[in-house]
Amino acid sequence: MNVEEKKAPIRITRFDGLFRGRQRLLSGLSGVLFAFLFIFPLFASGFWLNTLTSLLLLAAMAEGWNFIGGYTGYAAFGNVAFFGIGAYGTALSMTKLHWPFFPGMIVGVAAAVAFAIVFGLPILRLKGHYFAIATVALATATGEVANSWTSFTGGSAGITLPFFHPMQLSGQYFYYLSLLLVVFGLFLTWYIMKRKLGYSWVAVREDEEAANMMGINTTWAKVTAFALSAVMAGFAGGIYAYWRTFVLAEEVFKIDYTLQMILATVFGGPGTIFGPFIGAFIYYILVTILVFFLPIGQLHATLLGTIIILVMVFTPKGIMDFISGKRKLTWRALLENVRIYRV
Amino acid sequence: MEREVILESQSVTKHFGGLAAVEKVNMKIYQGEILGLIGPNGAGKTTFVNIITGMIPITSGKVYFKGRDITGWPAYKVGRIGIARTFQIVKPFRGMSVRENVAVGAMFGHTGHTRSSKEALEKVDELIDFVGMSHLKDRYADELTIPYLKRLELAKALAMEPELLFLDEVMAGLHTKEIESAMALVRKINERGVTLLVIEHVMKAIVGITNRVFVMNFGQELAQGTPEEVLNHPVVIKAYLGEKFAQRHMKQKAVAAKV
Ligand SMILES: Nc1ncnc2c1ncn2[C@@H]1O[C@H](COP(=O)(O)OP(=O)(O)O)[C@@H](O)[C@H]1O
Ligand SMILES: [Mg+2]
Repeated sequence: MNVEEKKAPIRITRFDGLFRGRQRLLSGLSGVLFAFLFIFPLFASGFWLNTLTSLLLLAAMAEGWNFIGGYTGYAAFGNVAFFGIGAYGTALSMTKLHWPFFPGMIVGVAAAVAFAIVFGLPILRLKGHYFAIATVALATATGEVANSWTSFTGGSAGITLPFFHPMQLSGQYFYYLSLLLVVFGLFLTWYIMKRKLGYSWVAVREDEEAANMMGINTTWAKVTAFALSAVMAGFAGGIYAYWRTFVLAEEVFKIDYTLQMILATVFGGPGTIFGPFIGAFIYYILVTILVFFLPIGQLHATLLGTIIILVMVFTPKGIMDFISGKRKLTWRALLENVRIYRV
Repeated sequence: MEREVILESQSVTKHFGGLAAVEKVNMKIYQGEILGLIGPNGAGKTTFVNIITGMIPITSGKVYFKGRDITGWPAYKVGRIGIARTFQIVKPFRGMSVRENVAVGAMFGHTGHTRSSKEALEKVDELIDFVGMSHLKDRYADELTIPYLKRLELAKALAMEPELLFLDEVMAGLHTKEIESAMALVRKINERGVTLLVIEHVMKAIVGITNRVFVMNFGQELAQGTPEEVLNHPVVIKAYLGEKFAQRHMKQKAVAAKV
């Protein structure tokens, strides 16, 4: 008898495969949530509409992060840069060129994608925490540039955008636009994961050397994942800019946004189609509870970072695994995770 | 009749810092043959394959595939031109099912450009049968035991439909019975028209399946020839068993020959 067969191996939960079982549970939950989200503005407005719009923008960015972090397995910690560039691109097109919103937003997204390709090519050669650190540094540096290039970006004075007309429909307009972006993200994920590109991403995540040897241009796979995550965050940034009618570097390049994307994805299940979307809800509910019970007023980056580490250590596949009963909190499982992910 | 050379390495060399892992290796692999590559642990066999397949940069030398200079090509291009390999330390895509693992080869390998992901997923059934894993098709790679992971390596490489296949110790750790079925499998692969370079420590397998053997030691070529010639060559025995054993072995053989 083989050594391997002597005892059943500990069920180690890794990131999901392309369509592993949990997908059904997630899509069921998502269906209910969508029905709710679609009719939500009929009975809510003001504060709640704004909160849900923020949540949807987070969900869209998390869907994007899922491409590079969830499916391709690269711990990108700088995706807020795409959000910020999307916001600035939109704001600058609308104020300096006096373009309408949609073409302006396309400029923002194009700039974010170009940025992802130009910087992705060199930094996607780095692995593990080197890559993570490089992305943090890149996002921080970009925020600094936006903040100090006063002649172009207005510097610390920010940029004020024109208002949406008619004003009284503004809330609903940006809400449904964000919802549309989330649906687009889900569709995009589903579409890609059925195709060769999706398989190349997962292959890179599981074993980059083997992927390369099997004929996958791994550089191309990684750069497309990075660039498509920039598409999602770029759109989110564009919507955000016009919605808030004000763009400020300190705000739109905050590392908190990156951490939120990661948390939402990791909560819901990285490498799954609906995970980031569900995770955004889990994140908002958790934050609301925490803020209510803790005397801190808001969640700071340090706290978010700590939560990320805890979640990664205890549930690398997302907390959906607890809900579906596939996973238990034991020390043995914890140590296995530490060993596998070298966290 | 002179047989066609499918792969030729000229003076291929790889240095890791001060260590010459592979030193001036000239090797010719002929179309349709099964060439054995043997040598003690650390002889540089895996490193040689890593260089040819573009997994590590070459220090110096040239590599030709069907007359075409492929020196320094990235691994994915080497894979697409018709060269595949298995890994001594298996490299499954753990989060994918067996079918998906194999299908990746059919999607991106030598003939990958001709089919979609869906076509690839449908095509690999026959291949999974061929390596005897049809009952495990929809299992995830992280649920497999080592012997099956080795077969999966083979299926993934074959799905690329290579013309030349490197097998790096696919039989290591298998039992006698498993080795025999693996040997039969290798022969069948060869019958499909695939040229093979087989790295193996199991001498029975080397003698049983290869037409020709290339021996490496300390990164260099030690000997070449038919399995019988090479395995009885004093230099080879010395490399494997050490000086003292070799002398004793040769004496015993001499005695046996006289009697
Ligand atoms: N990436 C590497 N870095 C440094 N040394 C290496 C590396 N890969 C292999 N070596 C060394 O090169 C030599 C040949 O190794 P290898 O090709 O694996 O031998 P074999 O496959 O014949 O057992 C060994 O001494 C090994 O330690
Ligand atoms: Mg080896």
